[in-house]
Amino acid sequence: MVERTLLIKQRLGLHARAAAKLVRVASAFQSQVQLRRLEGDVTADAKSILSVLMLAAGRGTELQASADGVDEEAAMDAIERLFAEGFGEVEAETSL
Amino acid sequence: MTQSAQEIRFQGLGVSEGIVIGQVLRMHDGTQRVYRWRIAPADVAAECERFRAAVTLASRQVLAIKEQAEKRFGKDHAYIFDAHLLLLEDEKLIGDVERHITAEHVNAEWAVKVIGDRFLYLYSEIKDDYLRERGSDIEDVMRRLLVAFSGVQSQNRDLSEDAVVVSQDLLPSAVAELDLDHTRALATDTGGWTSHTAILARGVGIPAVVGLRDFYRRTKTGDRIIVDSTRNLVILHPSPATLERYQAETTSRESRPRTAARAETGPARTQDGVAVTLRANVEVPSEFDAVEAYGASGVGLYRSEFLLARRGALVSEDEQRVAYEAIARVAGDHGAVIRLFDLGGDNLREQFQEQEKNPALGLRAIRFGLANESVMREQVRAILRAAANGLLKIVLPMVADLSDVRRAQAIIQEEAKNLRESKINFKEVSVGAMIEVPSAVFMANKIAQVVDFFELGTNDLVQYTLAVDRGNDEVADWFRTLHPAVLHSIDQSLKAGRQADIPVIVCGEMASTPAYVVLLVGLGATDLSMTPSAIPRVRRAIAGIEAESARRIAEDCLNCDTADEVEGLIRDRFTQLWPEVFDSTNLPAPRQSQNRHRSGPGS
Repeated sequence: MVERTLLIKQRLGLHARAAAKLVRVASAFQSQVQLRRLEGDVTADAKSILSVLMLAAGRGTELQASADGVDEEAAMDAIERLFAEGFGEVEAETSL
Repeated sequence: MTQSAQEIRFQGLGVSEGIVIGQVLRMHDGTQRVYRWRIAPADVAAECERFRAAVTLASRQVLAIKEQAEKRFGKDHAYIFDAHLLLLEDEKLIGDVERHITAEHVNAEWAVKVIGDRFLYLYSEIKDDYLRERGSDIEDVMRRLLVAFSGVQSQNRDLSEDAVVVSQDLLPSAVAELDLDHTRALATDTGGWTSHTAILARGVGIPAVVGLRDFYRRTKTGDRIIVDSTRNLVILHPSPATLERYQAETTSRESRPRTAARAETGPARTQDGVAVTLRANVEVPSEFDAVEAYGASGVGLYRSEFLLARRGALVSEDEQRVAYEAIARVAGDHGAVIRLFDLGGDNLREQFQEQEKNPALGLRAIRFGLANESVMREQVRAILRAAANGLLKIVLPMVADLSDVRRAQAIIQEEAKNLRESKINFKEVSVGAMIEVPSAVFMANKIAQVVDFFELGTNDLVQYTLAVDRGNDEVADWFRTLHPAVLHSIDQSLKAGRQADIPVIVCGEMASTPAYVVLLVGLGATDLSMTPSAIPRVRRAIAGIEAESARRIAEDCLNCDTADEVEGLIRDRFTQLWPEVFDSTNLPAPRQSQNRHRSGPGS
């Protein structure tokens, strides 16, 4: 199992659209992927959008991510990248 | 198909002008009463199967909506439906519902409701305002699932040429689904003049009658129907005689203005040479083409909260900037007036706020902006930056007095300074004030000293002056656009503008209705902004009258005691002076006491 601490950078937090991206990414891997919000101690299955939404993770929330399975390193890298890029939402979307 | 059925007439409120003969297309609004019943243990597996089938159907519908939304509103607006799709695939959700069916031996609808409500409750506890609001996505998906149980196919898939969409209520999300190119008219049980449905119907130029109360349940898809919004009327199963009469009428009048040939441009001119500028109100990109097609002199009112309504989210400064640049392009040399977010009230109540007891008098419009400065500053920056690439102006919604104006102006100046210091390309813009609440009318002389222009929002001005909610049919009899108090408010605001020598744009429904326009011109208005499809008829009305006669009539109206008296006066004088322009179809009808829905011209 691998574990990493991730920070939500994008302004709107893990809202439906960002959550959808996260679930799409996590679901591409076989490993179990979990996110735990340190404050409040809520855990979510990263492959369930409902579960991710229930984290209610706003901007600045720290999450402990863990992946467990055959492709755990790759899964964790992909998720870390998503967080690092702010879910592609920072100044990136300019189409109306 | 239903010729044998008895003709029935329903009175409602015509909110978008025109007459259409067509066929009913029933559209469910997604709200459903959910019943609970017990399932025999042997049938549990079949019930779960039924649930899966509903999920599959709902997913197919969402996919179709997503594709349509991408086409109509751009990819960015369609992303939200990706989340809806994932919700429908969510193992947790599906598993919980199936477990509930199995454990409780209840029908699938009930299980969906119980599980959905449970998640919605958890969501309502979330502290983060923005994230909490996302509960509406779950609600939307739950509704769709519940509708899917009744096997309702995606509802507007096979719109016939002459479909008249009939619904209890059309929610914004349902409107997004509508194939507006094939919808000839709308008829709904609820809704008022300023409901989203009404605004959109006027925007795309299709007739709509709302507030029909108990109409939807009496209809079947395929029933013949006549929607006559000029008479606030819907006729189900019209008799052959009625049909014939209407067929004659619709062929003789222009019932679908959007098929009209390229319109005249430039200001309208009265017989005695007074020029009146005609601008367009817009909110959705699908209306952009109409600005040019109807010959508008730019955009007099851009309702910027549309940017949020579609997304159910705040949009970034850059996204806004791009949107405002698009508006500026559409508006061309005449420019576009961007109204700062008119949030709160009836617009986006659930977005940011706790339910207010009295949202119309609550934290809305400029008050919302001043209370949520970061939102306002971001919007102001986006406008200032977009103004570098096109002519834009800012109008402050619902200012109550000078202090609102001064605070907003300070914010605009600070943001300009910040942009300058950061060496970001921008241009300063004129700033105007919406005059739409009585306190602003009383203070209009003072406000006029400090702003670049006025914009009279007549819908809100009527509502706030008379303390009557336009959306509430119980008080429809009290909503009198031609109330002398309203006319005095408009008169006073126009005078304040003239004295300070600043332009005054009049917008709102008054500006799009010929009979009212004549009075506005009589009171001295020379700049109107309206729903684009109304421009040709307003132009025709102005061209047919003399401003001097209008001025005298307006003066007499100001001296009337009641709205009835004003209406009677304009009925007499307009038909006498301008029989070519006015007849009983475009003047306020005499009121009958039992006729509760009469509310202005076109009745």
